[in-house]
Formats: sequence, structure tokens, C-alpha cells
Amino acid sequence: MSCPLRLTVNGVPRCVEVETQTLLVHAIREQVGLTGTHVGCLTGDCGACTVMVDGETTKSCSVLALSAEGTEVETVESIADGDELHPVQEVFWDEFAFQCGFCLPGMLLTAKELVEQQPDADEGEILRAINGNLCRCTGYNTIVAAVRRVVREARAERGAG
Amino acid sequence: MMRYARPESLDEAVAALADGDATVVGGGTMVVPDMTHGRTRPAAVVDLCRAGLGGIEADGTGWTVGAMTSYAVLERSLVPLLARVAHGITGGPQIRHRGTVGGSACYANPGSDIPAVLVALRARLLLVGAQGSREVAARDFFRDAFETLRRPDELLATMRVPAVELPFGYHKFKLAEGSWPIVTAACVAGERLRVAVGGAAAVPLLLDLDRPSVGTADPAWRDHVRHEVARALSDVGGPFDDVLAPGAYKARIAPAIVARAVADALQAYSGEESA
Repeated sequence: MSCPLRLTVNGVPRCVEVETQTLLVHAIREQVGLTGTHVGCLTGDCGACTVMVDGETTKSCSVLALSAEGTEVETVESIADGDELHPVQEVFWDEFAFQCGFCLPGMLLTAKELVEQQPDADEGEILRAINGNLCRCTGYNTIVAAVRRVVREARAERGAG
Repeated sequence: MMRYARPESLDEAVAALADGDATVVGGGTMVVPDMTHGRTRPAAVVDLCRAGLGGIEADGTGWTVGAMTSYAVLERSLVPLLARVAHGITGGPQIRHRGTVGGSACYANPGSDIPAVLVALRARLLLVGAQGSREVAARDFFRDAFETLRRPDELLATMRVPAVELPFGYHKFKLAEGSWPIVTAACVAGERLRVAVGGAAAVPLLLDLDRPSVGTADPAWRDHVRHEVARALSDVGGPFDDVLAPGAYKARIAPAIVARAVADALQAYSGEESA
């Protein structure tokens, strides 16, 4: 027996069938069919399952799918515009800020959220923004460098505009 | 299949809990992984995400914090101490957006920041059930590790935090950015020092300390702190072991963490690092 779950994923209204104990991350990957959101620890530690729920980064392994009824979910697939990478993705690319890429849903979405909400973020705020993500390749130096650059470029752009 | 209810009001939530066999899901950041990993297998879940229990109201005498208030909302608020503690919650913005202060209180993990902070603030917790409401002091609410006064047919609706006109301080000790705290201490500094210690024992320790007369590094005052911590630990059956540290280690460092919280409250941190 399953239950209907209605939600919007990356702007597209969806209705899928889930079990009551199904996790949001599994609904997104298996029912909606978007596999950019990763399954890591399933404990809320690693951040690989990060999505936006109603505009806020959330670890989708720690949310029952049915809790997301009626919400707007955005996954990592939503941030590029077709073949055009999002500026945050461009910077991660330029800075070699990922190796295997498993942590990218969390790293990209928290970096994007940071730059949108705190364009004046200082070093402490930069580190705090990404401290809910684990990189199994331990490539933190390049990730932090990329997030610093994301903030710097957003600030420069704002200053110029 | 697990039964699931998503009540849309406090009354609906209370009705859904009346059978007493449901697990309450708040933000889900603890309970949902517990379900995933088989540490709990609830027959039924009552999910409070739509029950309207979030938000903070201020009046002349303090704050009423809804149980479903997220750490992210709390850290942008003016609630003394809780706002600052919420800012430092482990797990990143994804957890601070989702995790709730009421959920943390009810989960009663000894290693969580929230229980000891509620005790230090003399918060009062409003429990609501089909048989009526009752308000309990935070100090009485925490019964044991992962055990509270809340009955299965009750839910925590709000936490009442009295206004604090006094300086307060906080210190938590952890060895990695992504770690739970090992020992925490929250201090409200009046003529005497009210300090609640988290993590060291199964329940928060409440200490009533003298103010240091010549600074928090004063050996005589440190002896006083060590004595009071040891006495409080023995009153609750000794320190608490968990995966982060054995109880003996926590008992050993707790006085130093207390001293740092006191120093923070007095803004006179002497720089001394050892216990």
C-alpha cells in the first residue's frame, strides 16, 4: 500500500506514490527519477542528499517524503540553465573544487544559498555555510577556495552593479 | 505499514497522539535517521510539520518559543542564550533549517546543546495531551538519557523562557567541526552563578556557584568548581559514557568547561586551558 505525494520538483508539479516511511531522498531519486541528489550516510551527517525545500537547504535523507507534501523542492539539477552552468558551478569547475563529485549537491547548494543570502559573508560564515557537508575525497582546500571566490565575485558584481 | 498522520493544528496533533503508540516527528533530523537505521520501528508517526507549532513570541516577561521553531529561526531571534547556541548547532545550515528546539528537548540526547541550556534559562515546558495540559520546569523534564517527563500521548507545544537581565555565557567542547559536543556549560551570572552542564551526565547538571573573586583561573575557585561538579555528578548517578568519550573523561574536563562558560559570562576569560 502506498500514499500519493504531491510536490513541485524543479518547477514541475509531480504526483508520485510513496510508502509512509519513504525518505524524501529516495522519492526524488526513485519516484521522480532525478539522481543528482545523492544517498550518503542516511544519518544527516554528510550532506550529499541536500536539496532546497521551500527555499531552504535541507538534508533530504532526514525528511520523510510525506513531510514534503505541497512543498517546492529544488535539486542540484535545477541550478544550471540548460547547458549553461550556474556561476557557482563555473567557479567550482575553475578551482578544481571537486574530485569524485559525490558531495557536490550539498557543497553547491549551500554555497549558492550563502552567496544569495549573505553576499558579505566573512571567512567564518563561509566555513559555517559548508560545515554540514563531508567530502570523502577530503578536497576541502579547493572547495573552500571556490566558495571564497563565489562570495568575492558576487560582491564585486554587486559593487559594479 | 507504518501509520502516518500530518495534523494541521495543535488539537489535531493531540487527537492523533491519543492512542499513545505514535512516535512524534518534529524536524526529523534525529528520529528519521533512527527509523532508517532500525533503531526505532514506530507503528505510527505523528508528523508535526504542519501543526503550526513554530515561531517565537515576546512579551514583557520573556519569550514563548514554539516547539517546532527551527534553529535557523532561533538564531535570528533575540532569545537570550538560545539564539547564540542555535548559531553553533552542528550539521550545517541544512540541519539548522530543519532541526527544532522542541525536538531536541524531547529527544533528550545528553550530548545535545539544548537540554542544559533550557535548564540554565529556567525554561518551562508546556506539555499538551488529550487529558489536559501541564507545565513543567526544564530541570524536571529531563529524566534520563533519551527520557523525559513527556508521556506518549502528550506533545511539547511551547517553551517559556523568562527574560534574562543578567550576563550569560556558553562554552562547548568538541574535537571536530562535525561532532556533537562532548561537554557543554551555560552560565547565567547573577550574584551567584547558575550553571547548567550538558553532556557530562545523562541529564543536565545544575550548579549554584560562587562568583570568582580573583578571576576564573584562581585555584581556590577552581577547587570549588571541581567540588560542585563532582557533587552534582554523584547526585545523578555519575557521568555518562557515549561514543564520543567515556564518562570519566567528561567528569575530568567538565570543571574546565564550566570555568570557560563562567569566564565568557564575566567576559574575563583568563586564557587558562587546563582543568
